[in-house]
Amino acid sequence: MATEREADISFVVGEEKRLTDIVSAAEVVPLLKGMVRAGAAEVAVLDAEGRTLWQEKSAAAGVKLAGALPICLEGEPVGKLVIKGCAGREESLKGLARLLLDALNTIIANNLKRMLTTEIHTAVVNQSYAELLETNRRLAESEARYRELAGELEKKVEERTCELKQAHARLLQQEKMASVGQLAAGMAHEINNPLGFITSNLNTLQKYVQRLLEMLEFYRTMVGDDGATAAIAAAAHGKWQSLKLDLVCADINALIGQSQGGAERIGKIVADLKGFSHIDELAEGVADLNAELDRTISVLDHEIPGDAEIVRYYHPLPGLPCNPALLCQAFFNIIRNALQARNSGLRLVIGTLCDGAGIRVTFADNGPGIAPGVGDRIFEPFFTTREVGSGTGMGLAVAYDIVTRYGGAIEAESPAGGGALFTVTLPLQRMEHVKVP
Amino acid sequence: MIEFDEQEKRMVLKLVYYGPALSGKTTNLLRLHDLLVREGRGELMVLDTVDDRTIFFDLLPFFLVAPSGLKIKIKLYTVPGQVKHDATRKAVLQRADGVVFIADSQTAEAANNFASFDNLEKNLAVVGLAIDRLPLVVQFNKRDLREIIPEGEIRRTWGEAGVSVIMASALRGWGVVETFRALAQQVYDHVDARHRLREAHGLERDDFLRKLTTVVDG
Repeated sequence: MATEREADISFVVGEEKRLTDIVSAAEVVPLLKGMVRAGAAEVAVLDAEGRTLWQEKSAAAGVKLAGALPICLEGEPVGKLVIKGCAGREESLKGLARLLLDALNTIIANNLKRMLTTEIHTAVVNQSYAELLETNRRLAESEARYRELAGELEKKVEERTCELKQAHARLLQQEKMASVGQLAAGMAHEINNPLGFITSNLNTLQKYVQRLLEMLEFYRTMVGDDGATAAIAAAAHGKWQSLKLDLVCADINALIGQSQGGAERIGKIVADLKGFSHIDELAEGVADLNAELDRTISVLDHEIPGDAEIVRYYHPLPGLPCNPALLCQAFFNIIRNALQARNSGLRLVIGTLCDGAGIRVTFADNGPGIAPGVGDRIFEPFFTTREVGSGTGMGLAVAYDIVTRYGGAIEAESPAGGGALFTVTLPLQRMEHVKVP
Repeated sequence: MIEFDEQEKRMVLKLVYYGPALSGKTTNLLRLHDLLVREGRGELMVLDTVDDRTIFFDLLPFFLVAPSGLKIKIKLYTVPGQVKHDATRKAVLQRADGVVFIADSQTAEAANNFASFDNLEKNLAVVGLAIDRLPLVVQFNKRDLREIIPEGEIRRTWGEAGVSVIMASALRGWGVVETFRALAQQVYDHVDARHRLREAHGLERDDFLRKLTTVVDG
């Protein structure tokens, strides 16, 4: 507004003018000459201060003042018309003077009117032009703003689309993992039933075999070398030898013992699977993270190379309110990541500690560590350093997702001693606003 | 915005007749020209018109000299009332020292009066003048017609705002000089407060008003 006002101020109409601004010699002098030709000895136009502006004289002498007539501009006397003439001609000169004055006033009025018209016209044109420029400037400004907005909008949409895609991918991956877990748990449940009677039957079979062996022993001691039974004894001995029953008797207990051991192992694996997937506890609970870590390691047992060493530095931990299945998933992914870091000679140190406010779980391996430059990206979905096809790039992303949803943090670094160190911190008191589905 | 030249001892005051189209602004100036004595009054200058409608402005100048020798020129301007000539209105309104708002009394014109007054307020702000500090008189013209807004209603509406309102019929010639006198009074007070017309220039308020608004006898 300020600029508009300043611009307007310069277009003022009707500024004060002097007589010489309005009429020129070219307009006045011919009239004065005509007056002289008509008989005046001298004609002059003076300004308000009495200075001569224009003057005409005849050769005739003997002059006499005929009268001074006021010339007015907007009601203000701005000059005088002075006429001198020969004696005796006053009357006719007065009439001519009146005529000349009217002519001058008409010229002044018309010129002023023309000047005012020009002034107002110019003022309006200038002002309209200034307003148009201002309007144009504002339009250009708003156009630029809308352009910028449109550009930003596109960027925002792209960002949001990318976020949505990532969230969708994470959800898909989690659902996949969850259904894999459910499948495993379901299978474990099915295996448990036949395993039950296998174990039970093996125990019974062991008892029965003991009894049979006892009976065989009884027969052998009862059938002696004396007289009547000697022939039977010899035949029985031959049969015993041919059936290699000494070997069978010695081995049978070992066979049953080994079968029992195998069934026991199957039972443990099934129990771990069930525990890991927490198929029995669907909702939130209070978990002992040390136990959950052990369970997770058991499930991964088949992936742990024979020469690998897993060291546990556990400290006693308070119960953590959480969904244990989700946290196990996170630990599973981190440990698995470490197992894949090195083919042989792996040493993984898992530590737990509670500092009162939260629980810290550390995973330190002696693998190749995190390559420089990728530190920021390893928690991004689909980011993988492994060969195409061998890694999904989802493991650490899912772990990150779960831990942050509990108000915790997960950090990865390459310590000076080599290898990679993953640190998960989980607050004991979950922040109110953090929602966990 | 009083134009005052101390060295030249000149003062120019600009008074503007504002209002909606065909409310009688030019008629007011024509009547003043006819009614007031010729001494100190210049000729009415009517700039070119289209179909008798003002497109630029009209100008009626007055000239008087204070006892101190201060020359005072008072210029009465009209503005074109038609909406499309807003740029001209703004140009004329620059540096105004007083405004007469000529309203049309006919009931059918109430909305136009309102729009024009709104336009006046807006344009005053644009040219940097404050309507509450500017001498202002409102004239309700065309009181000789029928179907007009009742005077009581007008006085109730404008009385609250403390604006002087004058009833007039410019066509018949009454109320016109009163309107000019009412504005001249306010303008005198306004100028006197700043340039001490009475103390420094010996110009009394009554003298000022008499010089401007003496009516021709008969």
